[in-house]
Amino acid sequence: MGSSAKRKKEKQKDFQKPKLKVGKAKAKPENFTDTSFRAKAITLNQQSLHVAAPTSNSQFSHFLSLLSSKSDTQRRDSLAHLTTAIASRPVNQPLPQPVSVMLPNLLPLILDSSNNVRTQLLKFLRTLPHNDVQDHVGQLLPYVRAGMTHLAADIRVSAVEILSWMVEAAGENVVSSAGGWVKTMNCFLSVLGWHTEESSRWSSNRASFGKSGSKGKPMIKVLGALAEFLDAGIGPPSGSSDSSDQEQSSTWTFPLCQTAHHMNTESTAPYAYLNLFGQPRDEEGEMYETREDRYRVFQTRFLPALDRGLKSAREEGGELGRASSSVNKVLKEAVAYGPGP
Amino acid sequence: MVKRKLGALEKVEADLPNLQHKIRRDPKSYIEDFRAQHYQYESHREIFMAAPTSATDTGIISLRDLIDFISHVADCYPDILKEFPQQLTDLLMQHHLVLEPELREKIVGSLVLLKKKDCIDSATLLHTLFPILISTPSKTLRALLFQKILSELRTANSKTTNHKLNRTIQTVLFNLVTSDRTSSKALWAIKITRELWKRQIWTDAKTVEIMKEASLSENEKVTSGGVRFFLGGDREREEMEDEDSDADVDVGRIRHQLGINKKTKKKARVAEKAMALHKKKEKKKGQPHPLNFSALHLLHDPQGFADNLFNKHLKTAKINQHNREHKLLVMQLVSRLVGLHQLHIMPLYSWFQKYLVPKEANVTSYLASLAQATHELVPPDVLEPLIQKIANEFVSEASAGEIASAGLNAIREICVRQPLAMNETLLQDLVMYKKSKDKGVMMASKGLLSLYRNVGADMLKKRDRGKEAAMGLRSGDREQKRFGQQENGGIEGLELLEQWKADERRKRREENGLDPDAEGGSDEEEADWDAWNVEDDEDSDDSGGWINVESDAEIDFSDSEDEGKDRPSKKAKQEAEAKNSEAKDAETQKESNEEAKKISNLATTRILTPADLAKLAELRAQAAVDSSMPKGRRAQLGDRHVDDGLTAEEIEGLASLSKGKQTREERIAHAREGKTDRSEHKSKEARRKERKEEQGKSTTNKEKARRKNFLMTLGKARSKNKRSLVETRAVLKAHHDRAKRGGKRGNVGN
Repeated sequence: MGSSAKRKKEKQKDFQKPKLKVGKAKAKPENFTDTSFRAKAITLNQQSLHVAAPTSNSQFSHFLSLLSSKSDTQRRDSLAHLTTAIASRPVNQPLPQPVSVMLPNLLPLILDSSNNVRTQLLKFLRTLPHNDVQDHVGQLLPYVRAGMTHLAADIRVSAVEILSWMVEAAGENVVSSAGGWVKTMNCFLSVLGWHTEESSRWSSNRASFGKSGSKGKPMIKVLGALAEFLDAGIGPPSGSSDSSDQEQSSTWTFPLCQTAHHMNTESTAPYAYLNLFGQPRDEEGEMYETREDRYRVFQTRFLPALDRGLKSAREEGGELGRASSSVNKVLKEAVAYGPGP
Repeated sequence: MVKRKLGALEKVEADLPNLQHKIRRDPKSYIEDFRAQHYQYESHREIFMAAPTSATDTGIISLRDLIDFISHVADCYPDILKEFPQQLTDLLMQHHLVLEPELREKIVGSLVLLKKKDCIDSATLLHTLFPILISTPSKTLRALLFQKILSELRTANSKTTNHKLNRTIQTVLFNLVTSDRTSSKALWAIKITRELWKRQIWTDAKTVEIMKEASLSENEKVTSGGVRFFLGGDREREEMEDEDSDADVDVGRIRHQLGINKKTKKKARVAEKAMALHKKKEKKKGQPHPLNFSALHLLHDPQGFADNLFNKHLKTAKINQHNREHKLLVMQLVSRLVGLHQLHIMPLYSWFQKYLVPKEANVTSYLASLAQATHELVPPDVLEPLIQKIANEFVSEASAGEIASAGLNAIREICVRQPLAMNETLLQDLVMYKKSKDKGVMMASKGLLSLYRNVGADMLKKRDRGKEAAMGLRSGDREQKRFGQQENGGIEGLELLEQWKADERRKRREENGLDPDAEGGSDEEEADWDAWNVEDDEDSDDSGGWINVESDAEIDFSDSEDEGKDRPSKKAKQEAEAKNSEAKDAETQKESNEEAKKISNLATTRILTPADLAKLAELRAQAAVDSSMPKGRRAQLGDRHVDDGLTAEEIEGLASLSKGKQTREERIAHAREGKTDRSEHKSKEARRKERKEEQGKSTTNKEKARRKNFLMTLGKARSKNKRSLVETRAVLKAHHDRAKRGGKRGNVGN
């Protein structure tokens, strides 16, 4: 009896299912062969060794191509390299590559997920000459706007910083480009959360979404940028160039005093407003080239919301209240100037 | 700014699905966040639109994610997203060629989602998707769009038929087919139409019109698509219906398992769903069957269509290697149409002439089509040369058995439809083949013989006519029908009813102890009928002004005799007597004649009561079932339903018999054919056990006892031996009590 049971058990063993347990590795089958291997060393048979070091130009384009690399550090380092390459170039020497070539690689970095890359990007942008930037505002702005409404607060802040740099470098172009005025204002309001009456009240329990960034005081930075932006858009004209023009032209007699109006404009894209090749634009995407246009739109669409928001910010007091006062000042001046002379 | 306390969830790196979830719960509070994301989407769209071809990946969040997010919450902010559907549509319409596949699919999916949320209507969606379907070169996108369009049309028609949408889409498809007859784009129209026809969503004439236009296209693929639809679309539809009805839920089992298994919410939900499905199906079963016409019957102007098909595809083009299959299809369709609608296309018959040679490929298809294209209004002199040719080419001593039997079969099939096409000498020649050594030829020839015994016995030689036909000829009731002669209209199955009534009467008479075959029994019938008649007369007698409605005057709808017997009228008696004497006088021959006449007169002499009509329908159904039984399957060749086409296999028919002896393997395979797949032979008990196990049911107590481990029973068995008498008694008593009670826990009440 005993022996037969034993033999039976032995026989049974061949057909028993192995028990599987959660969290434990599956038992290897009996006939398992280990085929894994480890490489100990990599030998390079050929190396590309050159006698001459690569030229600074070729290095520059190499680093430019590395901007779309997968790793954060690589992107940041190559940006740093590009920054030094541009900053340290001799005065009056043109850029190693034109801005229009660099821009397609640079633009996606505005929305980059790494903080370091974005800070480095801002540093790099600051080294660019202002008049080179003016032509490419139209390309930059959509990315900046996308950054300003990004879910991640850090990206929002750095996008605002980039915007304030753009206003500083090419203020007139920023506010008068297609969609540059209305859409950007919308983005500002949305960053500040001032769109509706309810949401701008300090007591409202605004369920704000998203992680607040690691950099402190985002609101203050945004308010500062808003002040600059408003100043560029609807601030009273500084008058230096205009008045000098007027003075100059007033010395001429009648037909000649209007010559300036009949000349080709000196702006970068004089016929951009015709929008010959782009998508059809709506009210928001329209170009508002003169201060009067901008003021008119601003008054109807944004002034009430801005007033409301500023009021609540002032009431909150503290640093925020102080920052809001600078915006308030710009706004007051603009309103005082009115729609224009 | 005062530092706000952050909730646990908000500390997480912000992601769109999280925001989407929050928005769905409370759209009002998160409107600012949504607005920000909408601006974000706008900016990304702007970036994309500036350079659609070189779209780069922009950071953590892509346009795809944003589109997905916005379309999921689209119903929460309708006023902010007024233009969103249009933007997606434009994006897809203008850039579908250059969009990356994932984004493209996302946009299609989002549009469908927007339709589901009622942000756009089905017509808009379909008008967006359809042009892309026919123009895109991407296979995956086409597959996706096709599936989406179909499901959209199905859901739109699921509750009630959406006539408006169907009409617009049908018009779009129709225009697609007719606008450019040379392009293969119309294939999509065919695919969609066929699918919807199969699912019985589109069953109207307009659908058929689309397919008709497709069949007349210049493009070969499109044409064969359309033709195939007419040849196979209806069968497909029937099969689909059968499949649908097959999938049934076992309600009893679900209910049982619900009682046994652990009760979870999910299981309850599943069970509820299954019950709802079952209830729906039951409800559907009770509803009247929707009347569906086959595509061939819904055609407008079949004559024009068949003419066009013939002239366009068959007459002019020569059949060569490349287009043979296509031409065969067209030929089958044309001949089906001709046979079904009894059309006249005279050139068709002469066209057949050159293909009726045994060495032609697929010649049996030609023969089948020719037979199919024959109907009783085709002039016999058109068919005669064709039959002659078949006889000459196929049927001879020299030709192989298969060929001869195929030829004979074809001739028989033609003659079933138009018996006048045969002449006497040829028929007598062909009938001689019944003596052939080849079994196939012999059977085919006998088939022809038995056909002509019925329809034209005088053309046969005297010794071939058989007894019935000879007697019929002598009495003169077996006259050959003349060309164009129509049968007098009758009611189908009337003779069955008559037969049944006679049987019933005989039974009753036997019960009453009367002679079952006596003719006098008819008086009851007459009386019954007259009783009703008299009652009617009474009513109409004083119907000059007002009709007197008697409150208790019931019209007898059943054919029970009792009431009729109560008041047999004088008139009825007189008539019955007259009939009686007449019947007695008549000879047997005459008697049978009269019987036959009476059968056909039943409808004119009697008003069929609703009960009669119900019985008639029942008998007809019974007869249909009987005729489909294997025994009587091929008994009557003329009995084929008009809608069924004739296939080449039927022409080949018994040709397999001509081949000679089968090999062993063939015989085994043939024997296997009829048997269902049963794995092995087992006892009933074993099979039952298997079934129970399959259903996850437990075994019986007996089985459990038998299977119990031996060692577990050992102890009890040992102790049983050592029991004292008293113990044994106690145990037995306990057992007896338990059995009385009905088990351990008892079985009283429940």
